[in-house]
Amino acid sequence: MSVSVLAALRTFKKHALIVLAVIVGFTVGHLVNANFYSDDAPVQPIEFSHRIHAAENEIPCMHCHVHAATSINAGVPSVNKCMNCHRAMPGVWESPEILKVRGYWERSEPIPWVKVYDLPDFVYFPHKRHIQAEVECQSCHGDVQEMDRVEKVSPLKMQWCLDCHKTREVENGRDCWTCHK
Amino acid sequence: MAGIVEKWKKFREPGYPGKFDYHWGMVIDLDRCSGCEACVVACQAENNLPIVGEKQFALNREIKWIRIERYWQGEYPDAKVTFMPMLCQQCDQAPCEMACPVFATYHNQDGLNTQIYNRCIGTRTCAVYCPYEVRYFNWYTFKWDEPLEQQLNPDVSVREKGVMEKCTFCIQRIRQAKDHAKDRGGDQRVRDGEISPACVQACPTEAIVFGDFNDPDSAVSKAAEDKRNYRVLEKLNTTPSIVYLSKVEQHG
Repeated sequence: MSVSVLAALRTFKKHALIVLAVIVGFTVGHLVNANFYSDDAPVQPIEFSHRIHAAENEIPCMHCHVHAATSINAGVPSVNKCMNCHRAMPGVWESPEILKVRGYWERSEPIPWVKVYDLPDFVYFPHKRHIQAEVECQSCHGDVQEMDRVEKVSPLKMQWCLDCHKTREVENGRDCWTCHK
Repeated sequence: MAGIVEKWKKFREPGYPGKFDYHWGMVIDLDRCSGCEACVVACQAENNLPIVGEKQFALNREIKWIRIERYWQGEYPDAKVTFMPMLCQQCDQAPCEMACPVFATYHNQDGLNTQIYNRCIGTRTCAVYCPYEVRYFNWYTFKWDEPLEQQLNPDVSVREKGVMEKCTFCIQRIRQAKDHAKDRGGDQRVRDGEISPACVQACPTEAIVFGDFNDPDSAVSKAAEDKRNYRVLEKLNTTPSIVYLSKVEQHG
């Protein structure tokens, strides 16, 4: 006489199906989330293309992100900055994305851009120190001039910061309180 | 691990802060201190210190990085009182540093005894080892009622439950001054008097002087040469970075 565990397990058939359904559900959900709702490349209120501005028209980064070299924050340009140039460009004045910009301008509202590179609150990151040390914008932000929608390319983890600080032999670059606050 | 131990050994040599970039320190003149507690309030505002509430206060769980200690002499009506601001002494040979099992408190290149909140696991050993009792523990994640959270300092992180904290000599202001010094160019060094921690800034009688002890010409080095100078609990050989000038007593 042989003893089989299968007979005993048969009563758990329903449970097994539920577990399987949950696993499949989570996997599909994760894939959908990662591919369509990822925080790495959030949908912006205006389909602003860095490729058109920075690559095709060769506008330097600091023209719009004016505070990057002199301040902690790089700074997002004001609507005024957008309008300054686009007023003089009748070719795209009526295009749907520019109409959105004009809408914000007429309502006197700031454009609610979604932050892509968001550091935790306990990190002190001055843009000016890095730019004055001649770190290229692209070394952290990737090839932004090739992107239609900005995508987060760096992990922004402490190890990643420290790797660079070590190779560049930053003065006091490995002291906790240089970057933490 | 080996690196940390090597660094630690280096810190045990006598006079090692002289080899550091800066050696931040304070001179507190007790003859000038009137016990007004302006420094306490200023510190509370600058460093996002929570208001713990009456119940926690009664349990001796208040958080004040600087406190005013009162020493009474004699009986009423001939009582005399001496006020003494007590804050982290930023010891060169700090007992708290050897206590921490996770190296959450360490010495940095400015001779500051610093606390890393993210690394702290809350064993509270450092508070036990500290002879000055100036380390404070977050027993809860404290909340700021509306609209008080609007006055939180963005340069200082808000600590959570289970984290030890203490005076940092307003390290965010030190960092800012260093940033300015770098922008200015030249020798890129912070000049004397450029940094004033919140307590120094708030003191109405200018009882506290802050500066770099490595610079013999700084205001703090000169003030420390006063005849009345002493360090608190000097016999413990913690070599604090804060020099007190004792109160002048009138006799007869």
